[in-house]
Amino acid sequence: MTISIKPTASGSTIEQDGSTILTVDGSGNITPSNQMYPKVPAFDVYASASQSISNSVWTKVTLNTETYDTFNCFDTSNNKFQPNVAGYYQLNGQIRFTNSSSLIQMVIGFYKNGSILKLGSNLRDIVSASPMQITISHLVYLNGTSDYVELYGYIAATSPVLTYTNANEANSSMNGALVSI
Amino acid sequence: MNLKEKIMVIYPELTDDDFAYPVGIIKIQNDSDGKGDYIKEWNHPTLAQPTEEELNDN
Repeated sequence: MTISIKPTASGSTIEQDGSTILTVDGSGNITPSNQMYPKVPAFDVYASASQSISNSVWTKVTLNTETYDTFNCFDTSNNKFQPNVAGYYQLNGQIRFTNSSSLIQMVIGFYKNGSILKLGSNLRDIVSASPMQITISHLVYLNGTSDYVELYGYIAATSPVLTYTNANEANSSMNGALVSI
Repeated sequence: MNLKEKIMVIYPELTDDDFAYPVGIIKIQNDSDGKGDYIKEWNHPTLAQPTEEELNDN
C-alpha cells in the first residue's frame, strides 16, 4: 500500500494507492472520500400483513418485507436477524396491535438465540385505546456466525392482532446496524 | 379454544396472573413457525404440566 500527500491549489489530498481518500482545504477542513466509510450490515424490515396472535402468549413477530438489507442478514422466512459480521449491533423494534376490548398487559422483547434477551415497553392496566405501538431499543453483541435476534411480543388482551396499516411508518418493524466491532 | 383456555379448563384454579409476564409461573410461546402455541415453561409448584392428550381432549 502506498500513501502519498499531494498539494493542491487550495490545500492538499491524501491518496492511498493513487486514489484520493482525504481532502484537506486551506482552512484545515478534512473531507473523506466515500471509501472512508466501510459498508456494514444494516437492515429495516416490517410486517406487510396482519398477524393474529393468542392472548397472553409470547409470539414471534412476522417481519416479511425488507426496506433494505445491505448484507442480506435478515431471514424473512424465519423472521430473524443473523448477521455475518461480528460486532455490536444497535437494534430497534416496534409492534403495532389492536384488540377488541380488555387490555391487561403488553410487552415487547428481543430474543437472542431463542431466549429472552431484553424487554422494551412493558405496560399494564392500560385503558384500551387500540391501535397502539410499543417499542424496544438495545445494543447487542452478535458473533457473526450462529447468533441471531428475533422480535417477540406478549399481549394480554381480548383478541389481540398485530395489525397492518397502509400508514407504513406505524407497522410492526425491526431495524438495526453494526455500530462497533 | 386456545392453549391458555384449554389449560384453564383442566385447572380452573389457575388465573390470568399465572400466565402474566414476568410474575406468571406458566409461559406459553408461539414461534410463528406454523406449529402454534406451546408450553415453553411450566413452574407451578403443585399442578403437573398437562399432557398433549389432556390438552387435545379439551
